[in-house]
Amino acid sequence: MTASEARSSRISAIIRACRIITRMSQANPDAPKSDVLYYKMLSDYYTRLLNAHDEGKFIAAHTVFFPSEILYAMDIVPMHTETTTWMMALFLGGQAEILSAGAELGLVPEICSPHRGLAGAFSLGVLPRPDAMLWSNLICDNTAKSGELVMELNKCPGFFLDHPFQRSEAEDKYLVSELEDMIHFLEEKSGRMMDWDKLSDIVARMDYQTELFREIGELRKAVPSPFPNRGFLQLLTVDYLCPGQPEAIAYLETLRDELAEMVRQGKGAVSPERFRLMTLFVPPMYLMGLMEKLGHEYGVVSVVEPLFTRWAESRLDPSKPLESVARKAAMIPERRSMYGPLGQEALQDLIDCAEQYKVDGAVYWAFMGCRHTCATVKLFKDVLNEVDVPVLTIDCDIVDPTINSEEEIRGKLEQFFELLEDR
Amino acid sequence: MVIKDKPSTSVPLPTLERFRQVNYAFPKTEQILEHQRQGGKVFGWLCTYVPEEIMHAAGILPVRVTGYSQEMELEDGNAYMYINNCSFSRSCLQMGLRGEYQFLDGMVAGSTCDGARRLFDLWQYYIKTPFAHMLTIPRKFTEKAHDLYYQQVVQFQEHLEEFLGQQIADEQLRHSIEVFNRARALLRQLYELRKADAPPISGAETMEVLNASFRMPKELFNQWLEKLLAELGRTGNRHQGRARLMVVGSVMNNPEFVKSIEAQGGLMVADELCTSTRYWSDPVVLEEGQSPVAAISRRYLNNFPCARMVPSDERFNRILNLVKDFKVDGVISQIIRYCVPYAHDLPLLRDRLKEVGVPVLALDVEYGTSGSGQIQTRVQAFLEMLEARKR
Ligand code: SF4
Ligand code: SF4
Repeated sequence: MTASEARSSRISAIIRACRIITRMSQANPDAPKSDVLYYKMLSDYYTRLLNAHDEGKFIAAHTVFFPSEILYAMDIVPMHTETTTWMMALFLGGQAEILSAGAELGLVPEICSPHRGLAGAFSLGVLPRPDAMLWSNLICDNTAKSGELVMELNKCPGFFLDHPFQRSEAEDKYLVSELEDMIHFLEEKSGRMMDWDKLSDIVARMDYQTELFREIGELRKAVPSPFPNRGFLQLLTVDYLCPGQPEAIAYLETLRDELAEMVRQGKGAVSPERFRLMTLFVPPMYLMGLMEKLGHEYGVVSVVEPLFTRWAESRLDPSKPLESVARKAAMIPERRSMYGPLGQEALQDLIDCAEQYKVDGAVYWAFMGCRHTCATVKLFKDVLNEVDVPVLTIDCDIVDPTINSEEEIRGKLEQFFELLEDR
Repeated sequence: MVIKDKPSTSVPLPTLERFRQVNYAFPKTEQILEHQRQGGKVFGWLCTYVPEEIMHAAGILPVRVTGYSQEMELEDGNAYMYINNCSFSRSCLQMGLRGEYQFLDGMVAGSTCDGARRLFDLWQYYIKTPFAHMLTIPRKFTEKAHDLYYQQVVQFQEHLEEFLGQQIADEQLRHSIEVFNRARALLRQLYELRKADAPPISGAETMEVLNASFRMPKELFNQWLEKLLAELGRTGNRHQGRARLMVVGSVMNNPEFVKSIEAQGGLMVADELCTSTRYWSDPVVLEEGQSPVAAISRRYLNNFPCARMVPSDERFNRILNLVKDFKVDGVISQIIRYCVPYAHDLPLLRDRLKEVGVPVLALDVEYGTSGSGQIQTRVQAFLEMLEARKR
């Protein structure tokens, strides 16, 4: 294997897996069309990454909640760091090799595993080498601190985007100025110029995309709820990887129409629907299959994920593209409770979700690497218990299956479903 | 270089004993109670990016919120904050939940790291103080970041004025700058003594002085520190050791931990902690025509950086300078479990220190540890390795 083949090996494997699923979905007349579009979007994203250097393109690796709209507008190929580690875990199974390579670098187990895994993967040379690293403090210390090691491992330059913690006119201005500085950095390093018209088009689509997210959220309120458990991850990924891109819009429009049709026909994602769950944080990637299976066995469906799928009401203005990109950072669902001071609004939103979505119970996935989210476990539990929603907390790791066995987690979930039954 | 031919001497220092008494009474020290008896307000602050001068100028006694001064079972902290937040924040929270910070009239924090920001969030919901304020702290040192931080400090001042119903005059701020700069200058003098081959004060003793500085009015602290410096000059105490060490990493203010290293022959001559050098190292420089708030905000953002700041080389370079100035043979990195900012920096810092031939002993600790058991064994081995390198 040549060095460049080795460098792309994990990405090639993700692409192969996505293509197989796409073909299987295409061949299955019952499979929703949105699934085909989703997996095609994924394989296209990673194919662009795989071929980037051969096509003379510039690759920018970036952390989660990074405004990759700017990269698309500059014809720079994005590489989402955390999602790429997730995808490796989701499609390629246990990631012992990359996690132990992260440990070799001196990264202790308390560091969020997607970041340890990513650093490990770069040090093993199994991911394409980025030409620049972009990272920010939206949303945690792990994102804020991960960039410099990636720069060092890949011998590439980097830019840190400093996100203000609260919201005020001065802080909004600061963020816009940070975006301007980043564009200058990218223009200088990549030799590509910002295409402002293209950015405006992306912002216009992004505005529509947030509308689609809200419409989908509304449709999920139906009883029975039409959206399957595995869909949650798709909703996140589509914005993480392709914000404001035509393929994201096509997927979301198709999904919305499919859900609307199901609601019209009174069909649910599981039949019969017995329990409606609120999901707090993210189930481990390697358990997505289990969640789907349990959904059907027990008639359980996740109807709302307040930390991840509740977009704030606001509009983006294509005539002010940079300000809009900055505003989007304030609209993302994660901003409400995962970043910025935890306000009453976030707690009220939990209560609203519980009521509007007719939630029977909540599962809090306490990812041990994610400190700031776990710090709200008790508070959220207190708030939800007040409106009579029981909460199950499960300690886990998003990408490392050795932390908690599937049987153990299955047992806890089954017990919880029995408790819901008894109520 | 470490001199071994002359033995260590250590005669008692009366003023050090007074500082110790302050720490024994923690968290409700006699000096805090006295300030309250005089009708003064007491505010807690959480991290070194919170400008103390602003509170001081308003007549408030700013005290640093820290956790238990020993390793403890943190049942409440664990229950409310989950076990995967650093034990420093859990320890502070537990003290708050148990009413040990009930005397505070206000709590001020900065958006420094996940542990600190969540501590502030939970404090507001479960403990509550009459006044609470969070400052956005940029992570960069650029001019734009300085502008933003300046506005944050102004907002903080305005919020405080509104709460107190009184204005804070520039004159009062200038006075506070003088008081705090005096403390910084005296602490620098104290640290200068530690550059000697056989310093007159140990690392553990220095930590006791610093701890007291967080828990008493600075005016009184300055008087006492002046006395202590005079005593140190008179007594001729000298501390010897097998190797000159520096401790870096997460927040740490338990002198017992340093004492346990010194008891094994390590000579702790320098430190890079937010409870030590990073707290006092840079003065506020008030330029001609500059407003005191502008000078204060510039100092706090430009101060010896915490691991949260970008680029990390700013911090690493300062550490390398300390290593050189204090003739450090080996560095002990102590990182509290789940302290992500420092944990992420460690591989890079280790490389930088390796380039200048300084070995690192990396310890995973819990806040308040006294450094017993396995830590002692590892320190022992580290000291032996450092000695062997010198032979
Ligand atoms: S999982 Fe949590 S700790 Fe890890 S990057 Fe995401 S928000 Fe940060
Ligand atoms: S810097 Fe580390 S030890 Fe200090 S509060 Fe933050 S996470 Fe905790």
